Amino acid sequence: MNYWNPYTETLPREKLEAIEFSYFQNMFSYAKANSNLYRDKLSGIEIGDIKTKEDIKKVPFTYKEELRKWQENVEPFPYGGLLGVPIEEVCTFRQTSGTTGKPVYVPETYESWQWRIESWCHILYMAGFRPRHRLFLPFGYNIYVAFWEAHYAAEKLGCEVIPGGALDTKGRINKIIELRANAMAGTPTYCLNIAQEAREMGIDPRSLGIERILGAGEPLPEATRRRIEDTYGCHCFDHIGSTETCGFAGMCEAKEGLHIIEPFFLVELLDRETLSQEVAEGEQGVIVITPLGRRSFPVLRFNTMDVAIKGPDSCSCGRTSRKLMEIVGRVDDIRKIRGVLFSPKTVEQLVRAEFPEIVEYEIVVVREGIMDEITLRCELTPQLNGAAAEDAARRLKERHKIKTNLTCNVKIEPTGTLPRFALKAKRFHDMREVIK
Amino acid sequence: MMDEIRKELKTLEESAERLKELAKNNNAVKKNADIILTQLYILKFITPVV
Repeated sequence: MNYWNPYTETLPREKLEAIEFSYFQNMFSYAKANSNLYRDKLSGIEIGDIKTKEDIKKVPFTYKEELRKWQENVEPFPYGGLLGVPIEEVCTFRQTSGTTGKPVYVPETYESWQWRIESWCHILYMAGFRPRHRLFLPFGYNIYVAFWEAHYAAEKLGCEVIPGGALDTKGRINKIIELRANAMAGTPTYCLNIAQEAREMGIDPRSLGIERILGAGEPLPEATRRRIEDTYGCHCFDHIGSTETCGFAGMCEAKEGLHIIEPFFLVELLDRETLSQEVAEGEQGVIVITPLGRRSFPVLRFNTMDVAIKGPDSCSCGRTSRKLMEIVGRVDDIRKIRGVLFSPKTVEQLVRAEFPEIVEYEIVVVREGIMDEITLRCELTPQLNGAAAEDAARRLKERHKIKTNLTCNVKIEPTGTLPRFALKAKRFHDMREVIK
Repeated sequence: MMDEIRKELKTLEESAERLKELAKNNNAVKKNADIILTQLYILKFITPVV
């Protein structure tokens, strides 16, 4: 069987959309009745005002900053006005990573957790994870949600899960070999770090026997996805989600964009300028999400600030869910440098696709007088030095200019200088606001 | 087939509620009946009427 839930995954579009609208109405009423945030936020709108799909736009967006505000010094501690159930029902604490500011604390009940897991089962199943897989999760999951979701969903669909926390990278590689793990989920950065470490141990990453990898916790540009596939000789899949919204889209075996998990989520892809119109296929839009069945932490029209390219409503896999073709980046990661829009993702695509000799890099932007300066700090494979290193630096500078329309400096750093990341990599440092 | 599934879910829901009622003084049975009801919430969510 190719589908986790053949019924919902192949429903005609109009039926799926009708279900989602009905679920949205339910969630609107639930949030208004049970969450202090939405009791306040929706005080001027009644359920009777939401009669058609177009009426959904009457509901204001929810922003991360609001979630923070409604938790700060608001009872019940620590969830404040975001809680959608009596606090006695909360059974698990999670929090956002805090990459963009103060973390948001997220309450899960047994029900909401099961709902998240069910949604995640779609992500794993469509990426080909099956009971034959022994899935290695190379992280201590801590209070962050992604790998807990992967763990429980993989268990639910019958995989054997190996929690790989409390080990260093060498220890994890040895454990993969010892237990013959054949699947993995990890941040793309860390998957590549594991491969590099394996090489330094004299082990070809392809000999590890990893058949499938699910990228998590970071964007996975196509070039990086392919590099992981080449590195391990495996299939690598992407998905997207967040702590606030859950994992809401995943890649099927056709590997052509991400399927939205319907009818779990109502996903709007809105034009970046006015945030009022759904974009057309092939256009970029801001992702706005409503999880449709999670009652512990109701969130309506959450503006993720992520930008994606809208895909077609059909796929060779037969699923009828809407697709996101490509995640372009975060609205707040796209900066203007010397008057040109710059996305760090373009550099990642370039490095991963064309520079296998670069093992780690970071982008630093500073202001020199009135001029913005971009420096790419790169570490190369240890055996590369002298003329070969200079040649790599020269080529990178040239290709960067072509890809971004911006000139950059390239600085080759000694091995081990740049930070290595296990969870969310932070490779873009815009220092213009920090150093004045 | 979906109609039959939904009918069966209704029966299960009634049974789980009845279990909870019978097990008022038995935390273990009551909690496990609650878990059945949670799974029924998910089951109903993934088998919506169109």
